[in-house]
Amino acid sequence: MPSPRELVRRVAVAVAVATAVGAGALAWNSTLLGEYSIMDMGSEPSGHGAHAAGGGASTGSGPETDVTALIADPDRPADVRIELTARQERIDVPGGRTVDGYTVNGTSPGPELRARQGDLVEVTFVNESVTDGATLHWHGIDVPNAADGVAGITQDAVPVGGRHVYRFEATDAGTYWYHSHQVSHEQVERGLLGAIVVEPAEPPAFRTDAEFTALLHIYGGQHTLNGRAEDARVDAAPGSIVRVRVVNTDQGTAAVWSASPLRVAAVDGHDVVRPTDVEGRRVLIPAGGRADVAVRVPDDGKAVRLHVGGARSVVAGAAGAPAAPPSPQPTRTLDLLAYGTPEPPALDPASPDRTFDYVIGRRFGIIDGRPGNFWTINGRMFPDMPMFHVREGDLVVMHLRNDSGDVHPMHLHGHHVLVLSRDGVAASGSPWIVDSLDVRPGESYDVAFVADNPGIWSDHCHTLAHAVDGLVAHVMYEGVTTPFLIGGATGNRPE
Amino acid sequence: MRTLYTALAWTVAGAVVVQAAAIAFAFGGMLNLVSEGGVVDKALLEGFQAGGVGEAGFLVHGLVGGVVIPLVAFALLVVSFFVRRRGTTAWAAIVFGLVAMQVALGFSVTDMPYLGLVHGANALAIVAAASVAALRMARPARPGTGADERAATAEGVGSDAVAT
Repeated sequence: MPSPRELVRRVAVAVAVATAVGAGALAWNSTLLGEYSIMDMGSEPSGHGAHAAGGGASTGSGPETDVTALIADPDRPADVRIELTARQERIDVPGGRTVDGYTVNGTSPGPELRARQGDLVEVTFVNESVTDGATLHWHGIDVPNAADGVAGITQDAVPVGGRHVYRFEATDAGTYWYHSHQVSHEQVERGLLGAIVVEPAEPPAFRTDAEFTALLHIYGGQHTLNGRAEDARVDAAPGSIVRVRVVNTDQGTAAVWSASPLRVAAVDGHDVVRPTDVEGRRVLIPAGGRADVAVRVPDDGKAVRLHVGGARSVVAGAAGAPAAPPSPQPTRTLDLLAYGTPEPPALDPASPDRTFDYVIGRRFGIIDGRPGNFWTINGRMFPDMPMFHVREGDLVVMHLRNDSGDVHPMHLHGHHVLVLSRDGVAASGSPWIVDSLDVRPGESYDVAFVADNPGIWSDHCHTLAHAVDGLVAHVMYEGVTTPFLIGGATGNRPE
Repeated sequence: MRTLYTALAWTVAGAVVVQAAAIAFAFGGMLNLVSEGGVVDKALLEGFQAGGVGEAGFLVHGLVGGVVIPLVAFALLVVSFFVRRRGTTAWAAIVFGLVAMQVALGFSVTDMPYLGLVHGANALAIVAAASVAALRMARPARPGTGADERAATAEGVGSDAVAT
């Protein structure tokens, strides 16, 4: 028989353990989200700034706009019209082995869409056999919100047998891509994607003689270039300049380099002003990002080699010309903060209407009943994420900071941001305008954008597994509402 | 409770052995991948395929190190309060502390590679501490003398000391 003191001690420990377990169970249960609306999320009412007092959620005065009403001119006939059909099936990887995945019109990557700047593009998306449902998101194109393709926010995931029409104007020329935004970490990784090129209406300042799209994707551990596990050849005459449109559809940063000088003609669909020769440095493209890299075919009859994404190369030269041998990857990186020629900024970041912090951290916790080491934004974990409330016309400045140990390619839907500074050093090159920006461990960026595209827009990490683990927030325009729901019976799982 | 305490302590020590095996397997797979012409880059890493045939090694290392060992070490600490013997809580606390440090080191190693040196050495410290915790239970109790007393002193006014 234990002593009374021992008995008291045991009872005390038992009560403590029971309380801890009970509290834990309660906390666990409270994290089960079920079905929810993005409208109910967000604990930060609005950014600090001139409009902050009048800011806030859609509960404010004024008429409400449903996201489904934010569309391109419905009376305008489409200039480019195409049907894209998604299937769940085996993907043939030439030069490699076949893998299970998703195709668009029978291939992965799907067909490259081409439009001319100013065209109205109309895409009818058909889901033939993707069991989880699917959508199409136009990565980097500032489409009207209804066409953004985020399941549970701008539409319901298209079920098997369903269809959905996307309409948008291809306002900005450049290199973009499309991909599913339903269970995106799995559907993108397994190939539900393709490239989009918007050709400029006027000849660009930086002239090239030939061009080639190099879409990078890993299928079952195989690095591919346009779906082929082998290098690509581009026929080009000696002395000609070749524009290689590199699209990084993978989950991590891609390196691009060459032993010959190269120039970065455009980043994320925005031309670099007077790009100069880059030698002995690599160009890093964030997950989801694009860069148009120009190389010159040498006059000596050889073909130039551009390494894209570590494992593959684009070889450009006359047919049959011997290719330059592979070259080691430079350890130094081109800094786009100081590349090209500056131009007077199109916006004045000194007097923003809103200022937001987007600080990335990491800690242990439970999300939706799932324990793990999750990402935090401004110290808080999903679903307690900030909602960045803006009003149309606002000039928004965002401070991005990465306090975690991993790089995060941050992607804002529906807008492009102008990079103002990194770690306090002001941008000194051509305006660096991006939709996908790598924020490395310990780095901080100040970026600015004009809130000129009303809607509810995802602002997330494009290492898509990180988005699943909570690295997703939203920019919400005042007065915009969504009828769509995420999770539960809706089947909408945007991440 | 003693049996449970011993079993949990041995589980921690054994799981560290699994960790060493798993990470060696993973890097073996990665080297094999590279030697056959494969390229390991950030894209492959984030696609969870950088380990080649050894990819399961990375998975096991992350799961056992990030979830299993911390939970078992925590259970060891809780159970130690129910074992009436000097020093049990102290040793469980040492194991738990080393494990907490090990997890923190593991998550920081990408950012600060030199921490890998400590991570590897600390793993051996965990095996040692967990083994001592387990082996102590096999010895007959010698209250008030020897190692147990020193451990109790280290523990300060721990719960075991109060119970005497």
